[in-house]
Parts: sequence; C-alpha cells; structure tokens
Amino acid sequence: MNILTIPLRNIRRKPSRSCMLLLIFTLGVMSIVALYQVSQVVGSSLEKKLNAYGANIIVSPAAERLSVSYGGFHMGDMLYDVQSMSERETLHNIRSIALNDRLSVVAPKLVSMTRVNDIAVALVGVYWEAERSLKSYWGVEGEFPADRSQILLGRKAAAQLNLTIGSTITLMEKEFVVSGVLFETGNDDDTVILMNLATLQELTGKTDTISFVEVAALCSGCPIDDIVGQIDKQLPGAEIKALRNVVNQRMASINFVQRLVLSISMVILITAAAMVSLSMLSAVNERKKDIGLLRSLGYGKWQVFTIFCLEAALIGATAGVLGYLSGFWASFHALEFLTLAGDITPVFSFAHLMLTCAIIVMVTILAAAYPSWQGAGIEPSEALIAL
Amino acid sequence: MLSATNITKSFQTNCTPNQVLRGVSVDIAEGEFLSIVGRSGSGKTTLLNVLSTLVRPDEGNLVYQGNALSSCSDSQLNRLRQADFSIIFQFHHLLPYMTVLENTLLPFMNTLKPISRNLHNKARKCLDRVGLGALENRLPGNLSGGEQQRVAIARALVKSSNVLFADEPTGSLDKETGGQIVGLMSDLNRDGLTVIMVTHDPEYAQCGNRTITMEDGLIVP
Repeated sequence: MNILTIPLRNIRRKPSRSCMLLLIFTLGVMSIVALYQVSQVVGSSLEKKLNAYGANIIVSPAAERLSVSYGGFHMGDMLYDVQSMSERETLHNIRSIALNDRLSVVAPKLVSMTRVNDIAVALVGVYWEAERSLKSYWGVEGEFPADRSQILLGRKAAAQLNLTIGSTITLMEKEFVVSGVLFETGNDDDTVILMNLATLQELTGKTDTISFVEVAALCSGCPIDDIVGQIDKQLPGAEIKALRNVVNQRMASINFVQRLVLSISMVILITAAAMVSLSMLSAVNERKKDIGLLRSLGYGKWQVFTIFCLEAALIGATAGVLGYLSGFWASFHALEFLTLAGDITPVFSFAHLMLTCAIIVMVTILAAAYPSWQGAGIEPSEALIAL
Repeated sequence: MLSATNITKSFQTNCTPNQVLRGVSVDIAEGEFLSIVGRSGSGKTTLLNVLSTLVRPDEGNLVYQGNALSSCSDSQLNRLRQADFSIIFQFHHLLPYMTVLENTLLPFMNTLKPISRNLHNKARKCLDRVGLGALENRLPGNLSGGEQQRVAIARALVKSSNVLFADEPTGSLDKETGGQIVGLMSDLNRDGLTVIMVTHDPEYAQCGNRTITMEDGLIVP
C-alpha cells in the first residue's frame, strides 16, 4: 500500500467510467499508431517507387571548366584536365559511407564515342542489373541483352543507324547483335548504344575506368546533403552533384503524407486529452469530500495533486500499451485493405512502444494537471462544507 | 497543551460577512476530554476546525505545545495534522472505495514508500481494540454508521495522535451506538489521548472532564 493505492482503488470503484476513458484514449492512441505505421510504410513504399524514376546523385570526375571567347567569338564552355575514375575504388568508396544503407542503386557508366558508317554515335557501358533498377521506367522492344555480345539501342539511334532487333553491327572492330530497342524516353538514352560496361572497357582499352556514377539514395530520415557530404569525404577528387529538384520533389510527396498524418494525430490527441481533462474536472468536483478528508489527515496540496495525476497517468500508461499494440495490429489490416504497402511491412519496436507510453502518460498528466491543481487547491475548510 | 486566545473568524454569506467566532479564548490541557456544546450556528464546529488547524482564524493566537500555529506554513500544519492531530466527522469518515484496513492506514499512504508490516500489524491491533478486527477487508458501504465511526477512531489510534477532534461523532448514530462511541473515546482519553468533542447531546458532553458552551460565537461563562 502506498499513494498509488488510492487512484488504483478509485479506478476500480467506477469501472464503467474508467473503462470509457480508457477506451477513448486507447482508440486515440490506436489511431495515431496505426496512422504513423501506415505513413511510414507508405512513405518507404512511395520512396521506393519514386526512386524508380532515376538517380538523385551524380558522381563524376573533377574537371576544370573554362569559358573560351576570343575576338568577340564565343567558343562556349570547355572542360579540360578531366580525370578518369577507377571503377573498383570509386564503387568501394561510395558503398563504404556511413549511410550506405540509404543507397538504393549505384550504377557506374563509361561513355565513349565511335563512328558507324560515318555516323558518330555514343557508346554507353552499363551494368544491366543496376541500370534496370535505376530506370525501371524503361520499356524495351525485344529483349534486354543477355550476354556481352548483345547491345541495346536508343530509339533515335536505331532509326539513325537503320537497325532493328536481330541486326548485327560492328563497333570498334567487334560484332554485336541488337537484342532490343528502347521505347522513346525523351532523354539522352534515345540517342545512344548501350552495352555491357566491361565489354566497352575492353574495346576502348580503359580497363577499370568509368566516366561517372549515378546513385539513387533513399532520402527519408536523412537529408541528401548528409549522403553527398559523406561521398565527398570518401572521394575528395570527385565532383558530387545532388539533383536537389528531384530529391525535393520526392521528399515533398513523402513529407505531405507524413504531415497529413501528424496533423490528424494531433487532432486525435488533443481531443482525447480534452476528454481526460473534462473527466478529471468532474472527478474533482465529485470527490471534494475525499479531498477534504485527505487534507484533514495531513495530505498536502502536492500529494492531492499527485493522486489525481497518478490516476490519469495510470489510464494513460494502460491506454499507451493497449493503443500501441492494437494500432500496430490495425496498421497491417489498413495496409492490406488499402493495398499500399507492397513488400514493406510495419516493424514492431519495443523502444517505440515505451516512447509511445511515455508520451501518452505525459499528455494525460498535462491534461489532468489543471483540474488536479484546482482540486488540490481547495482549502480544507471549503472541502469540509461538503462533509 | 493547546491554547486559543481571542480567536475571531468570519465567513462571507451572500456577500455579507458573517462573524462566527467573536474573540474566543480556551485552554486545553494534555489528557483532557473537553466537550463543546451549543445550539446550531453557535460557532462550535468552527471553533473545532480552528483548533484542529483546518481553518485559519482571522485574528487571535493558537498555540500548540508552545508553538504558535498562526504563523505556521501550510506544510507545517499538514505535518501537524498528519502526526499529532486526528479528526473525525459526523458523516463520511472514510474513503468508500478502500477497505477498512486501507482506511485505517490512509494517513501513511501519502508517499510512494510502501507501508511497513509493523504498521499493518499495528492497524490490525487498533481495529481489534475498536472491535472491528474481523471486518478489515470490508468496504465502508458494508458497515453500519457506528462501525464506520470506529474505523475513524482506529485510524486516530494507528497514528498515535496526541489530540482527537470529534465533530458531532454521534450525530448520525442511534443512542446505543452513540453511547458506545463516546465510551470508546472516554477509554482512549483515560489512556492519555486528549479529546475535544463537539456535541449537541448534553448526556454525551458529561462524559468529558470539562464542558464549554458556545453561543453567538462566544463561550458562555
């Protein structure tokens, strides 16, 4: 027996009132937890889907840019002192950053030029698996290359070279078969010939060399600047460019979902807190006699205040546990019903459970604080009138 | 032991001050059984509340064992009521949602520290003394008025209070039960407990060592 016995017994004394309050708060917590879990899963799922639309970081060799103009004739910007990048070292350094778990795709590329029937074309060496993850919007007529003797053509390049699926073409004295042609993408991929990166390295004699790397990073929970900063630290000689517009656009979509959830959660929490506050206010008025008796027994204002707050905190803690567990369960059903999750599922975290309980206990205590203090402030003489 | 000098107290009734005590002075010796009698509205309950520190007087001095209570802080008065004073009322002496034993131990439940086994045993002995040893797990709603009053007395015994203030403890009881309660208080007084009792009933008042009569906020000589 201690000070906790009094609120515990009082909760037991009015089971219907206590259960109703507990139910309201549990439903509130359940809604918040379910919304949070759904928003996290939807955010991750959305991010994954959005990342299918390409890279958001470009890693390229450092180069000096010079704007050349002489005698009123402008020759445009020229790059000089372009450094090449080692494939092995660059990929190793990118993948060893602290936030490497946020790197979704790392796609190295080698770009070279050649002439086919006096037509200049760009050759791009890629790793098919990484490239297809990065550009899942690609559609192809025919097949993606299955071995190193096959190539993939951009739509305009195929038209320009007059090649179709199954045609053969000699590039740098080596024969290749066209396995497929990309549907028009509207970007640079339309005008190039894509082939295996290692093959192009061999043809050009640039073993272990790449021109640049495209990186798709998952940005929820960490700013793109952190990832860029870490890559920059690992590759001091390279130029790291974050495609901020792309990132911002993606983050805006995810942030919208999360802000919406936060707003709804706040409304639910405030409503539940108001219910606790009202309930405690009526409890204080009902229990003036109890307050008078406790004060006559030598209980101070703080002790009476503590009794009322403990009562709210007990309901809050129970609602926190029940609400978290039921909210977690409800999130599975909500995701299933909305068919939003894909292959991502909510993750149970004991730390989240404890944090939820702590927050809910704080909210209930805050909600109960004013009526409790009013109750505690009743002078014994005033409370005795009720006796 | 407890001395009140020139105590005045007024309450606001419909925005007009109503003076309930008009300069009351009284000395209570240690081990005394003082009965306060008077008609309704004479100020006897207010005097008891002032003496038990539940109500602060407007003017006058209250001294307990040489200490001036008028200048004490609220927390000092709380400690005094917790340790030295016990108060029982005509109605509602107990928290209805706690058992007889828990109500007896209520003065010690004001911290997170669990109540010791010794105090539990002492509470059981006190309940035995007031004849309620077998009812310790009952809720007050299942007790008669007299039994409830005895629980309140047992609570005073557990605290080992020096002074027991009783505000018409027999007011809601039948004659026989009321007599038993006053008899119990007399027994405790014989054991050294100072008792100050407000009552309407002159017969019960005679159980005390001394009786004072209140009229219009003053003690009638």
